[in-house]
Amino acid sequence: MPDFRRDFAGALLIACIGTAVAGAAPQQIEGHIEAEGKQAARVPVAPDAANATVYASDTWWQAGDGQEFPGRAVFANSSGALAILRSGAPLATQGHPFFTALGTNGRACVTCHQPADGMSVSTQTIQKRWEDTQGQDPLFAAVDGSNCPHLPQLQRTSHSLLLDRGLFRVFRPWPPKAADGSTIDPEFTLEVVRDPTGCNLHPQYGVHSTNPMVSVYRRPRPVANVKYLTAVGFPFEPKNGLPLPLDPETGEPTSGNLMADARNRTLKSQAVEASRVHLQASANPTEAQLGQILDFEATVYSAQGQDRWGGVLTEAGAQGGPETLAALPAGELQGGPRPIWSEFASWGKLASASGAGNEEQRLFRESVARGANVFANKTFLIRDAAGLTSIGFGNPVRNACAFCHNMLRTGMDVAPGQVDLGTTNEPFANAAPELPLFKLTCKPQYRSHPHLGRVVYTQDPGYALTTGKCRDIGKITIQQMRGLAARAPYFSNGSAKTLRDLVDFYDRRYGIGYTEQEKQDLVNLMSVL
Amino acid sequence: MAERRLHNLEPGALLALAALPTLFMTSMQVRADEPTAGQVRSFISCPVYRDTDAGRKSGCWLANDTSNGVQYDITPGRIKPLLGRQVLVEGIVSAKDAGLCGGTVLEPVRVSVLDAVCKEYSIPAEGFPGRRFVLPARLLQPTSVPRQLPPPPYTTRDYTIFFELNNDFLLYQYAETIIEDIALYTRASHPRRVVITGYAATIGYDVSGQRVAEKLDIAHARAAMVAEALERLGVPRKLLELKSQGEPQRNAPTDEGLIEPAKRRAKVEVVL
Repeated sequence: MPDFRRDFAGALLIACIGTAVAGAAPQQIEGHIEAEGKQAARVPVAPDAANATVYASDTWWQAGDGQEFPGRAVFANSSGALAILRSGAPLATQGHPFFTALGTNGRACVTCHQPADGMSVSTQTIQKRWEDTQGQDPLFAAVDGSNCPHLPQLQRTSHSLLLDRGLFRVFRPWPPKAADGSTIDPEFTLEVVRDPTGCNLHPQYGVHSTNPMVSVYRRPRPVANVKYLTAVGFPFEPKNGLPLPLDPETGEPTSGNLMADARNRTLKSQAVEASRVHLQASANPTEAQLGQILDFEATVYSAQGQDRWGGVLTEAGAQGGPETLAALPAGELQGGPRPIWSEFASWGKLASASGAGNEEQRLFRESVARGANVFANKTFLIRDAAGLTSIGFGNPVRNACAFCHNMLRTGMDVAPGQVDLGTTNEPFANAAPELPLFKLTCKPQYRSHPHLGRVVYTQDPGYALTTGKCRDIGKITIQQMRGLAARAPYFSNGSAKTLRDLVDFYDRRYGIGYTEQEKQDLVNLMSVL
Repeated sequence: MAERRLHNLEPGALLALAALPTLFMTSMQVRADEPTAGQVRSFISCPVYRDTDAGRKSGCWLANDTSNGVQYDITPGRIKPLLGRQVLVEGIVSAKDAGLCGGTVLEPVRVSVLDAVCKEYSIPAEGFPGRRFVLPARLLQPTSVPRQLPPPPYTTRDYTIFFELNNDFLLYQYAETIIEDIALYTRASHPRRVVITGYAATIGYDVSGQRVAEKLDIAHARAAMVAEALERLGVPRKLLELKSQGEPQRNAPTDEGLIEPAKRRAKVEVVL
């Protein structure tokens, strides 16, 4: 769209060059990062963490181990095998900032974004790493790899959320910080009702500390297929009622699809925050390091490549695997002649097609195709999903999974924004006594939550920790759906241990009434994505 | 007509409808105030959802005017109701067939979701086909569709965006198309300033025994929301001039013939 932004972006870029020498310019950094970095800096790291012993593992990628990142790699998982594709030549990772411990705790980006796990990290891998290292791997750093830094480290109970649910501690300033660093006056008050980790009421780390923080616990999102994460397919965020937020550095629209709570608008800002918080770096990465990280992230594609029943996912006309993701454009809306997951449509016509393989394989492939059809076309009443049922469509609104998961090839949302699926807000969230519970009360001068009223109990306020708005309580950014078989558990809070748990949650949440066959078809579909 | 509507309901549904306090009425009362095409009707009610299952976004929304016992089809509104929340309905009685959803059609109709809660009520299709979803005539296009700047001549031009009661939310596939039009026109015409005036219906009027009025704050919030949207679409902040105003509103437009909803608006003047 022609606009004024290019002129301003040029001026901003010039302004930034002068401050880019010693690290990312402050104006490029989201306002919450300094406060979070301040807490991270005060959390002790394990002695000599940066030079920790390297423990051998079949697939574990240790920070700084200097392996070459291949052009294509395959990693076995319980459903078959995940394929990782890097466009361009194999990458020498020695000294590369994505693979190097930039901070004080021995972690690199790759620590929590493992290639074998679809560039995320599964509980299976986390548990194996615990066993292999007796909890000494930097993965378990006190800052966010334990339930709270004040707990005795190297004890399993202190890391139970990471080990059992794959959750890292994410601490957000309270009250929230705006992008410019100013403090937001939130529309609601926040009380800690349940604090099983002790972090939210801890005098150093909690909401009443001198640097007040709300601790929530979330899964790391995959650093793969990022052109889909950053695709700007639609100029507005309908769920927030505004055009897309702008990149403060370039002035260009950002996708609105990054991070569970959209606290960082750009991958650059995300990398800075990750470095300062998760890696406990004392300073921001340099512009050159950020450039290397972003360049690398843009080249990595991840998807299941082979299924133990369905075979190679590019056979018989299917277009699974990462090559299709790399080759085709991002940000396209599904529908009409191109329903979502039509990559597997040919498997629905195998009875008369050649290359159907054995009977078991044919049945599985047909199940995948049916699952795609259910996903795209089986409608149900979507209720009380703020961000979706609160923006004019009505509550309830009849639609299918593809209503939200509408971006071809990844299942993200082309018209982005955040939605409350009920994974964290009561009464819909799964019971989770191991997670904190917050009571959020909307102040009288503001409108209440559109579906849950003036008082909302939540395990994670989600997007509201970014905006301070009642209507955003419990909203979470819709995720991509590729490489799922390699990175259980699912949902932002790891509440679905398996793909079947995920389907069962939706079935219960929306009273869909899936048949057993439909549930299995959906599981089979998601296992090959 | 009203009798025919009631007889179309299954006995079970009829009993359930009778349980709603808003539906205590007699057929004599209905006939005494039968709506006629062109009438403006305003009332506060609890919405009823009829699940007609005619595809995506196909359900019907009904609301009962307790002053005459008439059930209206308010599905054509820009905003659909939320079950369990009262709605302010403001519309014009249409001569269109009530056979799609099972209520006298209001069209145009404006729906505002209120804070007050009420009984959630959802009913099955009961033979009504419902309305298949159709895309709005004007639709915001994906970014892959190239935008064309409006051609000259350029003159000072006004745009109006209407809002729900007590709300500053820019509605999907309605406000955003207008916002984009303004941004494109501003880009093309190089105006001296863009004046955004948020309006609030501060005096309001009585509906269903309640005073429906807004605080002046919402006028400023509307202007600010439009300004934020324009800035995100590339209109420089320095061009934007924000104002807010309550009632009285001289020379106020109507919203497709509706006077009261039109008082809840923002006006954008692109001043050359």
